[in-house]
Amino acid sequence: MFRHTPLRHAVLAILALAALMQAFTAGYFGLEILIEILILCMLVLALDLVAGFGGMVSLCHGALMGVGAYAFAALATLAGLDPWLAALAAVALTAAVAWVIGAICARSHGIYFIMATLAFGQMAYSYVFESPLFGGDDGMGGIDRFDLTAIGIDLNDSRTFALFCLAVLGAVYLFATAILRSGLGRSLTGVMHNEKRMKALGLNTWRIKADVFGLSGIIAGIAGVLAAQHIMFISPGLLNWTVSGEALVVVILGGLGTLVGPLVGAVAFVVMKHQLGEVTTYWHLVVGIVLIAVVMSRANGIFGWAEARWGARLDRRLADATRSPTPEEVTSDA
Amino acid sequence: MLETRSLTKSFGAIHVTRSVSLRLERGERRVILGPNGAGKTTLFNLLVGELAPDSGTVHLAGEDVTALPVARRARRGLSRSYQKNTLFDGLTVEENLALAAAVPTGHATRLWSDSLSRPEIRETVAEVAEQVRLVPYLHAKVSEVSYGVRRQLEVGVALATRPHVLLMDEPTSGVGPEMSKGFHDLLNDLPSDLTLLIIEHDMDLAFAVADTITVLNYGEVVFDGLPEAARGSKLLKDIYLGSWEDA
Repeated sequence: MFRHTPLRHAVLAILALAALMQAFTAGYFGLEILIEILILCMLVLALDLVAGFGGMVSLCHGALMGVGAYAFAALATLAGLDPWLAALAAVALTAAVAWVIGAICARSHGIYFIMATLAFGQMAYSYVFESPLFGGDDGMGGIDRFDLTAIGIDLNDSRTFALFCLAVLGAVYLFATAILRSGLGRSLTGVMHNEKRMKALGLNTWRIKADVFGLSGIIAGIAGVLAAQHIMFISPGLLNWTVSGEALVVVILGGLGTLVGPLVGAVAFVVMKHQLGEVTTYWHLVVGIVLIAVVMSRANGIFGWAEARWGARLDRRLADATRSPTPEEVTSDA
Repeated sequence: MLETRSLTKSFGAIHVTRSVSLRLERGERRVILGPNGAGKTTLFNLLVGELAPDSGTVHLAGEDVTALPVARRARRGLSRSYQKNTLFDGLTVEENLALAAAVPTGHATRLWSDSLSRPEIRETVAEVAEQVRLVPYLHAKVSEVSYGVRRQLEVGVALATRPHVLLMDEPTSGVGPEMSKGFHDLLNDLPSDLTLLIIEHDMDLAFAVADTITVLNYGEVVFDGLPEAARGSKLLKDIYLGSWEDA
């Protein structure tokens, strides 16, 4: 079952502080990297929700993010809807699409689940790639960011947009933890551990999986809306399975089923990509070697390794520090 | 409370369940005996819906539930424990019980309610933990407790859904005589209106808890009656009880 530990709180605090520091001090390029990380964080939170806590390894989450991005772009630029309304509709549509995919795929398991989600993702990619309405392989441009000038916030400024994305990520993280702490989220964990028993207890397991897949779609949709606003241009590549594959790599790199780990993974992945990318065009090779090392070490990603190494020790120290002394201890101290 | 009418199941040419008709009254404790391969577990699987019968029907509280899937039968009050532990190994004993206890309350599928902190669920967990003697192990992970404790939890998880009918598939399978005695006390402490159908190989336990005994052989009911009659049945001695009585 999902629970926050002192180590998780500490890592979250460090990540938030680092992001704030970067948002206030970085130049344009640094801010672009930060926004990229923040949007990727949302996508991997959505993926970890279903893969890490429900055993549903999805290869269509990139496409779900793309559905959110394209729906927002189409509604805001083609239909002329207010960007906030367009965003709301795009997120709702992504959630509905995710629920349907989840409901259909929930009856399959393992490799078959992965292949079914891959097929859905590639169908979406192919449709957008061929569709003149969505600009085909040219993509869609002219996407505006939310207008918050009425309250003195200019999201066209990269620094402000980065801070906005950070705030949204905070809300998304709280939403994900609320799901996992709910009856639905706990049942999802039960389904992952033993679906047969959950059925025997009286639960409609496919419905639980579909509902959480739909909720995960909300997060992917939000990531899509922000991704569209970030570059103000979108192309079919956003829906390609490689985006889902990279998100899965990030989740595994950070720590599957920890919620905090994928955030660490997203930072590590994007930083490696840009730092190594300056040195060599073969940066993927290095990421691959790191991923192999992480997987072969049998640690649950970077954060899983840290949690196994320091988590229990930190818990004990904090428990010792916070518990009230027993009468015997008081006597001996005296 | 639970009834089967001419329940039949075959796997290819092998007839595993042959026209089995049973009727359990509310609060009845019935033990199913039979040698290995007699079709006892298959009968359980047919009752809960994990297998579909070739013919015949299953009735729960007067309603024909033959076409209903496992989950819907469970929600109507039919619960089971398994011969091989079927638990949530990565979770604690308390979380195992809470997952089950949340189902009948409806909190298991709600988004805005934490099933673990609901007072009614915590109450059920505490009560069931007391019933199946799991209080000292509540915060231990299932993977860290002994096999015997897991057998108790197996029953506890089934009980936590507050069933009307509980099917227990060899609850003492693999446990020692001391723990078997503990199960005897545990079964006697269960609510008197709970209908129990138990597959059991431990004869002392079977005869101690049973109101009625049903004996299966090659998928067929060959005896159905009181424990006293079962003890004296020559047929039973021949197919099953001989070695036990001699011992």
